[in-house]
Amino acid sequence: MKFRCEREILADALATAGRAATNRTGTLPVLSGVRLDVAGDELTVTGTDLELTIRLTVPVGGQIDGSAVVPARLVADIVKALPSGAVEMTLGDDDLAISAGRSQFSVRPLALADYPAQSEPDVEPVTLASDQVADALRQVVRAASTDDARAVLTGVLLASEDTGVKMVATDSYRLAVRDLPPTSMLETGQKVLIPGRALAELQRLLSGGHELQVRLGTREAVFEAGTTRLTTRLIEGEYPNYRNLLPPSYPNVLTVGREALLDALRRVKIVAQAQDATPVRLVLGGDTLQITAITQDVGNATEEIDASYEGSEMTVAFNPDYLAAGVEAVEGDEVLLSTIDPMKPAILRGQGHDEYLYLLMPVRVP
Amino acid sequence: MRLVIARCSVDYAGRLSAHLPEATRLVMVKADGCVAIHADGGAYKPLNWMNAPNTLVDEGNRWTVTNPKGETLTITLHEVFSDVGHELGDDPGLQKDGVEAHLQELLAASPTSIEHGLTLVRREYPTAIGPIDLVCRDAEGNVVAVEVKRRGEIDGVEQLTRYIERLHLDSSLGRVRGVFVAQSIKPQARVLAEARGFTWVEVDYDELRGLRPDDLRLF
Repeated sequence: MKFRCEREILADALATAGRAATNRTGTLPVLSGVRLDVAGDELTVTGTDLELTIRLTVPVGGQIDGSAVVPARLVADIVKALPSGAVEMTLGDDDLAISAGRSQFSVRPLALADYPAQSEPDVEPVTLASDQVADALRQVVRAASTDDARAVLTGVLLASEDTGVKMVATDSYRLAVRDLPPTSMLETGQKVLIPGRALAELQRLLSGGHELQVRLGTREAVFEAGTTRLTTRLIEGEYPNYRNLLPPSYPNVLTVGREALLDALRRVKIVAQAQDATPVRLVLGGDTLQITAITQDVGNATEEIDASYEGSEMTVAFNPDYLAAGVEAVEGDEVLLSTIDPMKPAILRGQGHDEYLYLLMPVRVP
Repeated sequence: MRLVIARCSVDYAGRLSAHLPEATRLVMVKADGCVAIHADGGAYKPLNWMNAPNTLVDEGNRWTVTNPKGETLTITLHEVFSDVGHELGDDPGLQKDGVEAHLQELLAASPTSIEHGLTLVRREYPTAIGPIDLVCRDAEGNVVAVEVKRRGEIDGVEQLTRYIERLHLDSSLGRVRGVFVAQSIKPQARVLAEARGFTWVEVDYDELRGLRPDDLRLF
């Protein structure tokens, strides 16, 4: 195997595929590597941890076809650090030579024969509008859990209903629900649970503005944007019934400017974050919204912003990060915060943007 | 356990020869016969050592340790600063995961949280290949072997398979089935468990402990 490639292109490809390679070198050490395949003037870079696979193809000046598995992190770090310009990689008998300008590196490859074979998807692809998917992922994936102890919650639910598709994620403290138009990808009533980690990667890939093709199998989902393919196993299990958490109406509704609220939260968080788990309190009532953080032994912060409020006066407290993440996720200039009481979940929506809601559990405060 | 701090030199003769010049070191003689010479640095690895079984001949300022292969470790004590012995007794072993043991204890106290109608026969049920975490009986009187893990992975299912095989050898037990229990079970482990005819159950450690978290949750 021998090829030349521009450093920027190669470094990007190695970093992208490398994100699927695993750091845990347990049963299969070869998974800490990325696979390089050169055929003609194309280089395919693949990384996998058996749950998530990222494969992408980039143009190179191919000289000798061939394949190798190389340590993902090491080779990505080397290529990133090389001077800009062309990088040449040559596979020898027992090493991979990397050279650019006057820099020379030699890296010992991993066992190619141990690298798991990648299967080709046998499901017909469905094309989706990538900007719409990217937008939905931005709003929803943030609410998915990262705690493996409840594997089901690390997934993002895609459920096809009569009215369209719902994209749902929750970590049991907050819940994000986004409506999407119907798609032939899912049959009515079909539900799939896609790992949030894979969708977070997909979100990054979609920033290129490519068309998105999706193949949904029984055990895995394959996403293709441009020359990049992301394959992920689906999560098995019963997703919690989130619908029960959404009451039909809320007696108290706060309307507040999104940017003003975000700015105030950013400032108050400085004091709240000085100690773990300090909530921010929202004092609801009248024409102003008061936001405070009281951090014992550290200090207090208070912000006041213009708002309109209909309902009974109350103070409700939230985890500042979760609240800010919700406000950030909603669309529109104004945010509606609907509450029942300080112990029941509140809903954040963008004014005039009913396609998305962010349900947030309050925090008990003395 | 005998601990000697001494200025000593050490000579090893066997597959190769090695010499530690005179310096102050800790010489450790364990109850099983293992001898290790430590410097004042490094977490665990001795400068030189000899595993049991071996014989230690203590001639005062000269110790000779010989193993069955004929290798010898000769320790010459030039000056002894401290020489103490302590009976450490049996070691309970490394408890790698307190949560797993506690989970087993909690499930033994409340087997119905695994499956309705389950009653405990014995915790740490002995078999020739090691103890089974829990052995229970279900509502129909069948024997149920339960393997408890914190994280359910394929090796846990394999372990349960071996236990079930052992239990099948005892015809007096009647029908035996397996249940794989963990806080979370990997999809591959679920597939394998189902393929082996076992059921799998995910349990909530906090709930078993009766903990009501301070944080309010949606569900």
